[in-house]
Amino acid sequence: MFGDQIIVIFKFPVTLIITSMNLRQFYKLLLFIVLIPALSSCFEIVEEINMRNNGTGDVILTINLSQSKTKVASVMLLDSIQGYKVPSKQKIQSELAEAVAYLKKSEGISNVKSSSDFTNYIATISFTFKDVSNINNITKNILAKQKIKATNTSSYSYNKATKTFSRKYQPVANAKSEFNKLKNQDKAVFNGAMYTSIYRFESPVTNVTNPASNLSKSKKAVMLKSNIINLINGKVNVSNQIQLLK
Amino acid sequence: MTGCSPLKNNFIQMKKLLVALSFLFLSSLTYAQDLVKKIPSNAFTVATIKGDNVFKLMFVKDFNESFVGKKLLTETSKSLDKNFTSVEDFGINLEKNMYYFNQLSDSITYNCFLIPLKDASRFENLITDKEKKIKVDGEIRTMILPDSTSIIKWNNNMMYFVTGSINSSFFADSLKSARYGIKDIRYQDEISLADSTMTATDSTYVTTDEPMVEEVIAPPVVKAKVQKKSGKKSTVKNKSGKRKKGVKSKKAPKKVKHNEYDSAEYAVTDSVGMASLPATDDQYDQYQQEQAEQEAKKKQLTLEWMTVQANQIFNSNYESIESNKSYAASLDKNAIAEVWVSSLQDVYNSLSPAFGSYGKAGVMKGYGSLTAKLFMDNKSFRISTGLELAKEQADSYKKIMNRKLNKKFLKYVDSEKAIGFMGYAIDTKAYLEELPKLMQQTYGSFLGTNKMDEEIALGSELFSLLLDEEAVSKVVKGDALFIINGLNSRDVTYTTYDYDEDYNQTEVTKTKKETLPDFLFMFSSEDQRLMNKLIRYGINKNKVSVSNNIYKIEEKKSPIDIYFMIKDGIVFFGNSLTEMQSINDNSFRASISNTHKTLLSKNNFSFLFNAKNLVGKVPNEEIGGEETAKKFNETLGKMGNVYMKSNPIKGNLVSADISAEIPNGHENALKYLFTLIENAAK
Repeated sequence: MFGDQIIVIFKFPVTLIITSMNLRQFYKLLLFIVLIPALSSCFEIVEEINMRNNGTGDVILTINLSQSKTKVASVMLLDSIQGYKVPSKQKIQSELAEAVAYLKKSEGISNVKSSSDFTNYIATISFTFKDVSNINNITKNILAKQKIKATNTSSYSYNKATKTFSRKYQPVANAKSEFNKLKNQDKAVFNGAMYTSIYRFESPVTNVTNPASNLSKSKKAVMLKSNIINLINGKVNVSNQIQLLK
Repeated sequence: MTGCSPLKNNFIQMKKLLVALSFLFLSSLTYAQDLVKKIPSNAFTVATIKGDNVFKLMFVKDFNESFVGKKLLTETSKSLDKNFTSVEDFGINLEKNMYYFNQLSDSITYNCFLIPLKDASRFENLITDKEKKIKVDGEIRTMILPDSTSIIKWNNNMMYFVTGSINSSFFADSLKSARYGIKDIRYQDEISLADSTMTATDSTYVTTDEPMVEEVIAPPVVKAKVQKKSGKKSTVKNKSGKRKKGVKSKKAPKKVKHNEYDSAEYAVTDSVGMASLPATDDQYDQYQQEQAEQEAKKKQLTLEWMTVQANQIFNSNYESIESNKSYAASLDKNAIAEVWVSSLQDVYNSLSPAFGSYGKAGVMKGYGSLTAKLFMDNKSFRISTGLELAKEQADSYKKIMNRKLNKKFLKYVDSEKAIGFMGYAIDTKAYLEELPKLMQQTYGSFLGTNKMDEEIALGSELFSLLLDEEAVSKVVKGDALFIINGLNSRDVTYTTYDYDEDYNQTEVTKTKKETLPDFLFMFSSEDQRLMNKLIRYGINKNKVSVSNNIYKIEEKKSPIDIYFMIKDGIVFFGNSLTEMQSINDNSFRASISNTHKTLLSKNNFSFLFNAKNLVGKVPNEEIGGEETAKKFNETLGKMGNVYMKSNPIKGNLVSADISAEIPNGHENALKYLFTLIENAAK
């Protein structure tokens, strides 16, 4: 309301001069000043799938913010940054616990574990699946739960008969345009962010369709590393069809 | 030599004539008076753009050739299908002051512009179909804008633009609105309320039904209305609280009676409405139609009021704002632009009904007029702001601000390297003593008239009793300085993964460089007993470690190491151990420039940001790549110093300045501003 604005505007110069220094506020101010140069941050997401010939396997997901721990530690002390609310340690832990509880209830999923390290800012979730397609349902449900309207753009399948493992991924059509809508300072968060996927098998791989992926010396593991920005832009696709030795 | 005298006489005569002529000429020049004389004395805000000062910095020719000028000329040329080559083609007198002002009352707000004209015919050329639109009355020409919300009126010397907006709260008061033939139409669901308002509207409406159409009741003026506020307020609030647009209820038809139209149509809706629900839709349409009618009436009234107001500006004599002492005192002949807002306290009180429950709370108590002035010269931009305070408030602040920054602080400012600093000095003792008074002044009435006064007074007493102001002021004297003397890089470790040739993952620790600013914060303290006790407590609890008089805060969560120490009556905090050590063994080397010294030592509050000292100091990879870094450094390199400072209180005036230096290679701040706009638009 007009009246409130007047109060705020006109009291400002006076309070500015006569501010008593609140230590907590001062510390926040300090952090902002200190953090000016640290505009970009690095983090990595690692996705590992260990497939067994019988179709079962394990997944380990890792989010590692350790390279930006100075920034993350500072951000954690703030209530919000660049207009986004900063979750507390407790909030992160409870969300993680929620994810674990959800996974435990999911079909074909067992042995769910999670870990979080708030010194280095690393979090992991791991579980065992009966069939790799179980993962597809999880993503679908999570998307539905978050009310994100997205066609399932990523899916895994393993054909025991032909011994083919396939990962289908279609860049979300509007991801690029949504990303471009972000403010530059928010985009900067993704500068230097990396994505790594590793699929390990019991049998040697005879063929991979994605040229960006690498085959290990033993031919039993396939790795793909990409900048997250390239994934968002659609420059790199993680789709792959991996043929194992029959 | 008498022969010469006629000639000499002639010469003298001629000289006299010349003088007289030149006087006449001069006076005819000044006759085109400054338009400030046309601003009524009860204007709430006055803003001025000083044409002569602006075009001193930038010739009209330069303006026309600038990016902004070209854009303006081509765009107007295009939209009016004409060919303008200079801003002078618009007929505006660019050497004179242009004004904006507004007038507030409880019923209407006028926003007005006064623009000096040099050539009215050129100005008229801007109007298409002028024969149809312009009404001519002698020298005065009037044009009503298509949607009837604004009026433009001009003669050969000035152009006046006014747009008015009616305050809805004014017409929520049925007594007042009825005076103007306007009803507050509501879609109500409570019989009792509808009934009571109905009777009220009825009686008054009848009495003022006729005059409305024939003659305009002069718009209420602020001063006249102030005293008139009776017990009406509460009923107004009540009613508007009941306004529920979308509610459709059986009881609603009752509302029809509220209106005076006694047509058959109404009667039908009424009975049907009573009988069945579906009719409420018609009812609602009816309501909307009525409301539209009332809105049209309000619009018509606004136009009538504006017409009266605009005519006054042109045809009558009245006291101008020049007679307002506060306004007159706020003027500065060197400013490019000025804004003046009249006494906040008075205006706030006179308008209080619009502010609802704040009402007469007097939140603005003690606050007078506010001014802001913009200066531009060949070195910098400067904005100077001032706020008038009531005497007792000003006295309080004077006591509080009676302190200068500790001179010893200045040894630690390195002007060559400093990226920024912020210093402030207040008298803690005076602050603690005056605080309860200030709180009472500001919030005492806010918390409820008379009700809380005693409690607040009691609170103030208690505050003084609990706090020994003297003792506190010895621990924290009230002056402090925060400096960033430079950047330093340090190694930080992080966890990442290595993969063997079979892509088995192993966790590894790597190091990288991180550049962080070194900050130093200091405050004066005479009595360090409390500090020492705190330190001892911290050490015992393992929150603080000590080495060589330098303490380190052991806080795992903190992303940076923080050290502190006490030396020469100063408490230091900082994140650079080297800086701390050099302070400790007196080997800290820094030299402060005279400008910085003055800035810090003469003002109670000062701030400086020197972006240039940041250029190239942050490694590219930390900014996010070479390209971003280049842009970042370029932007910083173009920025001059930015200063802020508070000025000493003069009389009852608190004031502060913000200034930004312009980079080298620019003639003056205005031209620099134009290049900035041009670059931003590219």
